[in-house]
Amino acid sequence: MKFLKLENNDELQANLFSFAIHLALFLVMIFSVGWQTKTPYYGEVELWDSVPVQKKINKTQATPKKKIKQKQNTKVQKSAEAKAKAKAQKEADIKLKKKKAAEKRAAEKKAKKLKKQKAIKELKKKVLKQEKIDKLKKEMLEKEKVERLQQQIIEQQKIEKMQAELRESELKQQKKPALEGENEVKGGVNTGELNKYKLLIQQKIQQNVNQQLCGLDYITLEFRISLMPTGELLGQPKMTKSSNINSCDDAVERAIIQSQPLPLPKDSGLFSKLKNLELKFHPNGVE
Amino acid sequence: MNKFLHIIFAGFLFFSSSVIHALEVIEILGGKASQIPIAVMPFKSFGAQKDIGKINSVIKGDLGRSGLFYPLDTRGVVASPNSDKEVNFSQWKSLEAQFLIIGRIDFIQKEQIKVSWSLIDIYKQQTVLSGEYVGKNNQIRAIGHKVSDKVYERLTGSKGVFHTKIAFVEKYNNQKFKLNIADYDGYNITTLLDSKMPIISPRWSPDGKKIAYVSFEKEKPVIYIQEIATGKRKLLANFKGNNSAPAWSPDGKRLAIVLTYSTNSQIYLINTDGSDVKRLVRSRSITTEPSWSPDGKEIYYTSNQGGGPQIYKFNLESSEVSRVTFEGKYNLYPSLSYDGKLLLYLTQDQGKFKVALQNLQSNQVLKLTKGPLDEAPVFAPNGHMVLFVYKNYGKTTKIGTVSINGLKIDPLPLGSRQVQEPAWGPIKN
Amino acid sequence: MKKSILLTALLGALLAGCASTELQESQPLNPPQPELQSMQADDNQGTAYTSPDLNLQELRGNPLLAKDKRGIYFDFNKYVVKQEYMEVIQAHAKYLNETPAANMKIQGNTDYRGSHEYNLSLGQKRAVAVKEALNSFGVDDSQIETVSYGKEYANLDCVEQNSCGEDRRADIVYTVE
Repeated sequence: MKFLKLENNDELQANLFSFAIHLALFLVMIFSVGWQTKTPYYGEVELWDSVPVQKKINKTQATPKKKIKQKQNTKVQKSAEAKAKAKAQKEADIKLKKKKAAEKRAAEKKAKKLKKQKAIKELKKKVLKQEKIDKLKKEMLEKEKVERLQQQIIEQQKIEKMQAELRESELKQQKKPALEGENEVKGGVNTGELNKYKLLIQQKIQQNVNQQLCGLDYITLEFRISLMPTGELLGQPKMTKSSNINSCDDAVERAIIQSQPLPLPKDSGLFSKLKNLELKFHPNGVE
Repeated sequence: MNKFLHIIFAGFLFFSSSVIHALEVIEILGGKASQIPIAVMPFKSFGAQKDIGKINSVIKGDLGRSGLFYPLDTRGVVASPNSDKEVNFSQWKSLEAQFLIIGRIDFIQKEQIKVSWSLIDIYKQQTVLSGEYVGKNNQIRAIGHKVSDKVYERLTGSKGVFHTKIAFVEKYNNQKFKLNIADYDGYNITTLLDSKMPIISPRWSPDGKKIAYVSFEKEKPVIYIQEIATGKRKLLANFKGNNSAPAWSPDGKRLAIVLTYSTNSQIYLINTDGSDVKRLVRSRSITTEPSWSPDGKEIYYTSNQGGGPQIYKFNLESSEVSRVTFEGKYNLYPSLSYDGKLLLYLTQDQGKFKVALQNLQSNQVLKLTKGPLDEAPVFAPNGHMVLFVYKNYGKTTKIGTVSINGLKIDPLPLGSRQVQEPAWGPIKN
Repeated sequence: MKKSILLTALLGALLAGCASTELQESQPLNPPQPELQSMQADDNQGTAYTSPDLNLQELRGNPLLAKDKRGIYFDFNKYVVKQEYMEVIQAHAKYLNETPAANMKIQGNTDYRGSHEYNLSLGQKRAVAVKEALNSFGVDDSQIETVSYGKEYANLDCVEQNSCGEDRRADIVYTVE
């Protein structure tokens, strides 16, 4: 019986011990995994020019005393030194490898830089060429009669005006939410349509914000919400920044809840962009 | 081993999913001033006298007057929940109610009642506030006002004023006058002074225990301070000429008053015991209607140095005088909100006398009433309502409240009384 | 192990439950206030002092000093004494100068528009304007008291009746007449 009990105890101990090791390893794995997900930061690697050498001691006065101490612990020191040396060598090796890798990357970087600089130079050349051409044109204009000169200036102004108007209308189009879905597509999502729904959501919630409960100062609050495709809230709105006025926080949370169902697109791709939203409120506007 | 692999895999999945995707941000500027729809059900009375359940009409009246709430008509509602567990939230949502107040009144002993109540949030689907009061039968209105105060404070963050008192002058039998005090909503009127001569400018002391007023009983205006609880009064000022326009300093130790013994109306300071009379402003023009800033550093007043009456302010430390009102030719009767941010006054606009508000930071002016013969506006102590006088058909003048968001104007139910010169008493802690 | 899990779960449930509801309050209200004493104003007037030095015959006989001519009228928001009243004022000045024991009270009034206090001041200005007119005829301030009733006796229907001008006036009253 005793023998059996002992065995049981041993089993328990063994299991606990293995569990502990597993846990330790698991934690190690987590941290190492976490460490690996970061992008390597070259700037932080310490570069050594050569294998580490003990620095010269400048204080000559102290050396005699140290020598005496060293003689006393030579054996222990020697073995410790040997170990340390081995360790240092290993570390040096690792560091050398890293250094080589870093040098490679640095070299690549340099090459890229050079390429860029070349491209910039070429651009500059182009610009210079353009300037020369413009100059020539001017000289030609100057040579012509007064009436022609005036005509050309007028025409040039017309062109510039048209170009400016085109630029303006382009900007306007970018600001307006695209109703026909003709705007550019980014990452598989139509930003025009996205902005349209954001505007609809903004307007619906704004109508329900009773800013009378928010005093007179320029305060802000922030909430995070999750939505279902039906436009209803998934869970409760989460306040991420309080206005420090309880009645205002309550009023804004009420406004969010009251605004259900929120207008959402039927397209699942667009919906996925809007299903989690960050809402920033300025109930009394901004200065 | 299998278990171990499972743990690793789970950990891996966890970390891959925890990479945060950028959230879409929506900025929402401004909002819309609205009245919170609130349903106040009649309280259920158990053993208490009939009609006492109508305490809900007191609460509805209070919340409605503030202009921040819209009490719903619940006469057609059949549901009668006793607690939030019995509330059919979707039903109340369809009635567009955001909050619900329910309560009960229990008869304890002879003339004693216990009132229990709850404030329920329809959207959060839970009770957010509840309370219990014990009192006499005839205190039912006072209890109703207390409930209103609690609900108001919880939902707006501001102090409730539904428990406060007002004072006003009543003219009766054509040439007799009474100085009365009442609940802010016009109920429970008590007379402090009965006189054959006019009474004007009643003003509550900051602690609410005394009233200063101007009486013409000596055939000229003189100032009295009367203790409300005892009825005892003392003559504060009876100098040669007129003595009028008493204004208590915020610390209650002094009053600014107007004397004419140097022939023109000028503003003086005087201690509450009548001592230490000091002249403030030297002017050849009329200077009257002094009103203190809440920090006690400035006195706002009316002067006609610019031709018609305009509002100026005097800095007690620097003795500097500066003009405050610039819009319109006729501005008078200044008073400040408890936080010093708003100036309340009377203005003449296109021939009509209207109540106006000026934001002292932005200097924006807002006309709160339409006239044509409005008068004597005073702030509620939380600055959310204004009490003012308006002329009704015939010779009667009436008083009523207007919420400062302009959404609610209501007369005080004083019947056919001819009333004027209102004053609003302080919040009692 | 199981017991500790149960305990923590219970604790958690308790804490979660405490979060939402507000504490109940049970307090007796203050008893109703005792009946407030209503003050009666003191309306008693002093006894009149009659003396032959007051030359009451003159006061009662002279048509310029007649009671129906004791009102001086003003324009809206103004306190300038118009020329048309100077004859009457001069007569009063003569009486006062000849009768050093006589005392006069000038009561200023306004129409009902505007606030009570501002109108009290405006009425005062009107009374003072009449006093200054008397001063210009040599009358000393010691014989004149200026008071104002502001709009207290104004007619509330003056706009409808087109009679607001009647309220904008200063009245001359003698303490003994």
